[in-house]
Amino acid sequence: MDIRLVDYESTTAAALDIIGLRKAIANQTSGLRPNDFPRSPLKTWIGRIPEVDDIQLGEWQSRNNALAALGLEQGTIKSTIDSLIKRFSATRIGVVMGSSTSSIDRTETAYSHLDSEGRLKPEYRQPQVHNPHAPSLFVAHYTGIKGPALTINTACSSSAKVFATGARWLNSGIVDAVLVGGVDTLCLSVLHGFDSLQLVSTEPCKPFDQHRDGINLGEAAGYAILMRPEDTATDLGVKLAGYGESSDAYHMSHPHPDGLGARLSMQQALDMSGVPAEMVGYINLHGTSSRANDLIEGQLIGNMFPRSTRCSSTKAWMGHTLGAAGITESLIAVEALRRGLMPGSMNLDQLDEHLDLTISAENIQGDLAHVMSNSFGFGGNNCTLLFSKAEQ
Amino acid sequence: MSKTSLKTEPKSFSCKVISFGAWGDGFESWNELVELIEKKGATLKEGTSSSKGPKPEVIPANERRRSPLPVRLAVETSWQATQAANIDPKELTCVFVSGFGDTQLTDYMCKVLATESKELSPTKFHNSVHNAAAGYWTISTGCEKAANSVAGFQDSVSLTLMEAMIQCQQEKKPILLTFFDAPVSTVLTDIMGNGSSFSFSMIIAPDDTLYAGLKLNDKEVFLTAKVIAESSCWPDLVNVHSDIEDCYTNNPSARILSLVELLRGVGDKSRTFPMGQHSSLGLSIV
Repeated sequence: MDIRLVDYESTTAAALDIIGLRKAIANQTSGLRPNDFPRSPLKTWIGRIPEVDDIQLGEWQSRNNALAALGLEQGTIKSTIDSLIKRFSATRIGVVMGSSTSSIDRTETAYSHLDSEGRLKPEYRQPQVHNPHAPSLFVAHYTGIKGPALTINTACSSSAKVFATGARWLNSGIVDAVLVGGVDTLCLSVLHGFDSLQLVSTEPCKPFDQHRDGINLGEAAGYAILMRPEDTATDLGVKLAGYGESSDAYHMSHPHPDGLGARLSMQQALDMSGVPAEMVGYINLHGTSSRANDLIEGQLIGNMFPRSTRCSSTKAWMGHTLGAAGITESLIAVEALRRGLMPGSMNLDQLDEHLDLTISAENIQGDLAHVMSNSFGFGGNNCTLLFSKAEQ
Repeated sequence: MSKTSLKTEPKSFSCKVISFGAWGDGFESWNELVELIEKKGATLKEGTSSSKGPKPEVIPANERRRSPLPVRLAVETSWQATQAANIDPKELTCVFVSGFGDTQLTDYMCKVLATESKELSPTKFHNSVHNAAAGYWTISTGCEKAANSVAGFQDSVSLTLMEAMIQCQQEKKPILLTFFDAPVSTVLTDIMGNGSSFSFSMIIAPDDTLYAGLKLNDKEVFLTAKVIAESSCWPDLVNVHSDIEDCYTNNPSARILSLVELLRGVGDKSRTFPMGQHSSLGLSIV
C-alpha cells in the first residue's frame, strides 16, 4: 500500500501545534497537570487544553467541536484543504473523523441545565451536536469539504482506524483527498467512567513501569491529509504502508490475556506493508499505563520484535486522549520517522520485571525507515498502522 | 498536475448480496419484514415490544442480561443473517452503525454525572461505547476479524453502505453490515424523535471466485453503487404499512427499507440516497 501524507497537525496538552509538540518531545516537557476539570473532584492528573475553554461556535457549540476547530486553526492544515478544494472541488474530498466521546460533553452540560419540566433548554437543542457523528458533521461544515463524511467510534482505536478507511476510499477512487482526524475532549463521562473501572492513577502516569498504577486522561485533536501518490506533486516523504484491524473476542473492557487481537493487528500491518518485523525501527505503543495493557502489549512486543526495534509510550506527554490517541501517536511516530528522534517513554524509572523489550525514558537519535503505532480500544477493538519513508 | 478525465466520471463499486436479518416493532425476521413490504394491508405482528426487544441466543445468558437493547437488536439480526447464509461469524469482517447511538445509556450517564456523587456503574460505562454492539458480537461469536463501528446521523444507512461496499471490494472479504437504532431517551426526544426499535443486517461478498458459493437463495444478486456529487433526499417508500412509514421517517437505520424495496423489485430499479448535504449514493441491482 502506498498512501501519502501531505500535511498533518496535532493539538494536545503538550503543545497547541505540531511544531510545539516537536519541541515538547525533544525537551521532555509534559502537558499533564493535577485535575482541575470543572465539577470533577477526582484526584488524578489530566491533559487539559485551556485554550478550548473560550471558543464560541453558536449552534455547533460543544467542547469537542471547539477542540476540533482549534486543531484546524493550527499550522497549514486549513490552507492545504483550501488549495485541494480549488484543485479537485469540495465534493472530491472526504472526511473521516474518529472519536469516542463525540460531543457528549455538551449533553452532560445540557443535562445539568434542564428546565423546570426536565427538558432541554433552547440553547442545548442541537441535534447535529448530540449524536455520535457530530465530529465529522462539524469538521465538514468548518472546512467546506462536501464529499462523503463518516465518523468512526471504536473507542480508543477510533482515530487509528480513520487511516484504514481513508486509504480504502482513496484506492477505490471515490475521492482525491481525505482529511482524516481524531478529536476527543475531557468530560465527566470519561473521567468518572474510567474511575469506575479503577483505571485512573492519582499520579502522573508511568507507562511500562514496574510501579505504574493507572492512566491519566487527556484531550486532543489531530489531523492528516491523505492522497494517492500519483496525485501529489510534493508530499512529506511518508507513506501509510500497511494497516491491521482486529478484534480480541474476549471482553468489553479488559484486553485478551495473551494479546491475541493485538498480535493479529500488528501481524496484518506487517503483512500488508511487506515489511519484516526486524525492519521496524520504532513502535509507538498503546501503553496506557494500566497494569493489564502494558503487561500484555509489552510481552507481545518482546515476542514479535527483535531488540533492535525501539519502543515507547508517549502518554506521559498528554495523557490518554482516547479516540484521538490513534492519530496523535501515529503523528508522533511519523515525526520520529522524518526527523530521526525517537521519543522516550517519559516517567519510566524501572521497567516492569516481566518485560523484555527495548524501551527507555530518554529520547534516542537514529535513522528510521519504518515505524508503527498501536491503538487498542474497549470492545477488544485493535488497530495498528505502519508508516514508511517514501520517495518524494 | 492536471485532472484526468477518469476522475470526472464517478467510479462504481459492487458486491454480491448474500443474506439478511431483520427485527423491529412488528416483525422478527427477514421473511416477516418482506411480507410487510410486499403485501398491501399486511398488519404488524402482535406481541413484539420495543421496550423488551429480542433475546439473541448467541449472547451467553449472563452477558445477555447486562446487554443494552441496541446491542441485543444488533446481535439478533447479525445472527439471523449469518444463519441464513450458513456462514461462520468468525469469517466475517463487520461494520455496525447506529445513527443516534445508545441514548438510554447517555441519559443514565448524564443524569448520574449531574449529581454530587458521579458514581457510574462500570458495566454501564463500558457498554456506553458506540462499538458496544461490535464488541458483544465479536465476543459472543469468537470473531477476531476487523470490527468497525461508525456513525452517520440521519444518513447512517447510505454512508455505511458505501464504507462497507468499498471495504468489501478493496479487501476482497465478505462483510456483515448491521444497522440499528432503538427508541430515543425522553430528554433527547425533543431533538431526535425516534420511538421505534429497528435492526437490519446484510451479508455482502466480493465478486470473486473464492466466494462463488455464496449466493442469495441460489441466485447471484449484485448491488452496484456510485458516489454522486449532488444533493438528494431520502426517497419515499412505495408500498408499506403506515407504522413502518413512521419508522422509516424517524429511525435512521430504518432507511435501509428503501434498499429492501430495491432488492425485492418494488418500485424503481435504482435509488439515490443522500450522504450529507452535498453528496449522494446511487444504488442499483444487477
